[in-house]
Amino acid sequence: MTPLLISVNPGNIDQNALVITIVGYVTVFLVLAAMVILFIEAHRIQDYLANRSRKKESGKEIQEKQELQKITGDENAAICTALYLYFTELHDEEKYVMTVRKVSRTYSPWSSKIYGIFNNLKHW
Amino acid sequence: MIYLLKLNDDQNPKSTTSIIRSQMKRKLIKSLPVFLLFLFILLANTSFAAMIDVARLWKDTGFHNLQMGNLLMICFGILLIFLAIKFEYKPLILIPMGVGIIIGNIPFAHEANYPLGIYKEGSVMNYLYMGVLKGIYPSLIFLGIGAMTDFSSLISNPKLMLLGAAAQVGIFVTFLGAMILGFPLQESGAIALIGGADGNTAIFLSSQLANGLRTLPDGTIVQNLIGPIAIAAYIYMALVPIIQPPIMKLLTTKKERLMRMKPPRSVSRREKIAFSLVGLLLTAFIAPGALPLLGMFFFGNILKESGVTKQLAGTASTILIDIVAILIGVTVGASTQADVFLKPQSILIFFLGAVAFMVATAGGVIFAKVMNLFLKKENRINPLVGSAGVAAVPDSAQVSQRMGQKEDPTNHLLGHAMAPNIAGVIGSAITAGLLMGFIL
Repeated sequence: MTPLLISVNPGNIDQNALVITIVGYVTVFLVLAAMVILFIEAHRIQDYLANRSRKKESGKEIQEKQELQKITGDENAAICTALYLYFTELHDEEKYVMTVRKVSRTYSPWSSKIYGIFNNLKHW
Repeated sequence: MIYLLKLNDDQNPKSTTSIIRSQMKRKLIKSLPVFLLFLFILLANTSFAAMIDVARLWKDTGFHNLQMGNLLMICFGILLIFLAIKFEYKPLILIPMGVGIIIGNIPFAHEANYPLGIYKEGSVMNYLYMGVLKGIYPSLIFLGIGAMTDFSSLISNPKLMLLGAAAQVGIFVTFLGAMILGFPLQESGAIALIGGADGNTAIFLSSQLANGLRTLPDGTIVQNLIGPIAIAAYIYMALVPIIQPPIMKLLTTKKERLMRMKPPRSVSRREKIAFSLVGLLLTAFIAPGALPLLGMFFFGNILKESGVTKQLAGTASTILIDIVAILIGVTVGASTQADVFLKPQSILIFFLGAVAFMVATAGGVIFAKVMNLFLKKENRINPLVGSAGVAAVPDSAQVSQRMGQKEDPTNHLLGHAMAPNIAGVIGSAITAGLLMGFIL
């Protein structure tokens, strides 16, 4: 191991290093500030768009309600039967992966295969 | 069978076995001189060659090649494992790293030319180390982090992102500090990233700038500082709960610590996807050097938020990141061979790392206080959240939460603190890209 020699010399900071420090820090700040501004504004734009679409939808809903009132009883019955048949035919979605779960039981002398009633018998 | 034939009918089995044993013993004793004679002839013929082999075997052992430095490093590796198990300081990285340090410091005969050491071309560890040298592992870890990250807190309160930018002051102060202490420009750039409190980014940049392969303008080769930088970064990340609280307490008043923040609004999936895309484009266009990190980071997040690639996001955030964490930990640990690591520079790097962490923490807290001067009362930020601007995810955010709860157990700051925390990750990666662009 070489001896520890600390040479503190502020003169080592050249112009290049200073430029890197200042430009680098300012750039990081600006990039994140740009994202801040972008997302504050994006939120406003999104709110505006959401409000506009809500207004449109409310206009459409009135029209749809009026159209719905025109459906006859026969048509309603047909839709209900179709829905009933569709839902009664549905199966639960099953997993396609089979897993074998290993169940390890805690040891008990009652189910032991080591000890049995014939243990003390001598086999000749 | 031969023995059994000699038995009488009235003899019991117990006595039969003892008879067999005694007869076998007698036979062995009789054959012993013949065996010894055979051994003597064999040794007489091969003794010289065998002695040479034994001597070579001894020279190859770790005991013969052991040096004080190796022993010190092995103890250091064991200490890291102990810290990870006993105090649970970053166990997912410190245990692989601790074992890696032990593996890397097992001494062997270098002149034997075995493909063993991490720096020996063609060895298994050397192949694994390529992932560090080429910046592959940090990029993959960023993919996993991206797939785990939720940008909700960041999007709901975007101004908290500025705290992440403010905490990057640690990087630039360390950069200047390293220059003052006499490190050349490339090495200073690599060391500076310890201040970002993000081990992966630090490894990435040191693998590009201080990998022991590049040459300086004066013709000397840049030192390989990947090991010391990575270990300093991860140790300080593990020590975040010890380093940060005193600084946070020192810079804030009780009233400020009790401050409650406005609860975050709910964020739509569309906003999250837009954030990832905008973030990727903006950061990559400004700092293309950070593309391997930020590209993967935002890619991972798009996998998660798109909602149609759950399997890929699940793999990236669990299995893949675990595999890479194992590999990066072991290889970075193994790269700290005593002859590379035990240098005065390593001590300086550890010292600079500590300063960097403190400056970064202070930078975040002070900037939060400055921001409060310009914000409306209901939008003010608890300055404890500012310290989470360092990129140690989620440790520094947890420190903010704990500090806040100490003063008021009903004040939950974690959700707010995650925003500057993630911004810190993005900020440190941008800084790494910028430093690469400037220095390389």
